[in-house]
Amino acid sequence: MEGSIVEALVGLSAIGKGLAYGLAAIGPGIGIGIVGGKALEAMARQPEMAGRIQSTMFIAIAFTEALALLGFVLTFLL
Amino acid sequence: MNPLELLPGKIAELVHELSVLPYNNMEGHVTSPWTLTNYVVWGLIALVTTMIMFIVVANREKKQIALAAQSGDVTALAPAGRLVGALEAGVEFIRDMATDVIGPKDGPKYVPLLGTFFFMILISNMFGLIPAGKSIGGTIGGTVALALISWLAFVWIGFSKNGAYGYLKSLIPEGVRQMPPAGRIILGGFIFLLEFISYFIVRPLTLAVRLFANLYAGHIILGVFSGFVALFWPIFEKDLAWSIGGVGAGALALVFLILMYAFEVFVAFIQAYVFTILTAVYIQSSVHASEH
Repeated sequence: MEGSIVEALVGLSAIGKGLAYGLAAIGPGIGIGIVGGKALEAMARQPEMAGRIQSTMFIAIAFTEALALLGFVLTFLL
Repeated sequence: MNPLELLPGKIAELVHELSVLPYNNMEGHVTSPWTLTNYVVWGLIALVTTMIMFIVVANREKKQIALAAQSGDVTALAPAGRLVGALEAGVEFIRDMATDVIGPKDGPKYVPLLGTFFFMILISNMFGLIPAGKSIGGTIGGTVALALISWLAFVWIGFSKNGAYGYLKSLIPEGVRQMPPAGRIILGGFIFLLEFISYFIVRPLTLAVRLFANLYAGHIILGVFSGFVALFWPIFEKDLAWSIGGVGAGALALVFLILMYAFEVFVAFIQAYVFTILTAVYIQSSVHASEH
């Protein structure tokens, strides 16, 4: 009986880890998609600004991505 | 025997290999803060490589400039060779980034700091991609050290450029500061609290975690796929048998491994760039704190 409860806890914590990272990746995934799409749109409209848009895009992606990465680290901490 | 049964063991071995260990003893434990660990040794190797590259190239450039000034021959100023060309392009890239982000007046002052971050992280990431090599970004301790340097730099610049009161005042937006006293205290205090946490805690934390998580995830992915190849093509695993399906799966894993390796080289560049440009953005917000 004791052993099966411990096993169930191990399995549940594995499910929790997977859920933590999976859920943390949803929002930033959508966000990075929007950032990249808008940057492409802007670059297509004004190709001469491509350099500035690209570096701003990387900054925006870095901020968005931080949330997913916090989820990734949390997965290892759980 | 099913090769996939050995996979959890392989992953545990991989995580052990990626943890901080004494550089000469894979089985040992880090017992004191002064133990020379594998990450410290590989970080020092990256540091020395960066220094030697730049000292050699800078000395050569100095000689060529003196030669050009003496003989009046401008062709001596052209970069000779791939290393010189690559480093000149890299330094120019950092200089353009600094003037773009921080501004033409204050930008050039911070090129040495930003350039050191960029080249140090980039070369260390490249060492991390060598099998058995380690990148300082691959452990949270290394990235926290880098993020603390960046944090100290932009906080110091903020305080020394604006004074303690001016810098802390700039955390509250201009519009809130001109509100009637009740709004100023309640809304301003709330914004101050949020911005204080964002400036002094979240910024260095995300700098460190971003670099660490990207590189660690990359190393884990490369390790897992090379583990797949080793299990499906059992050249070194004596108790596993070859099978036709296994060879196919191994070939697929190998192709994916090569693609991911190329992607990790790209990530090494992107993460060095992101760390540098975020440091530049933070320095910019400190330099121009009194304007917003």
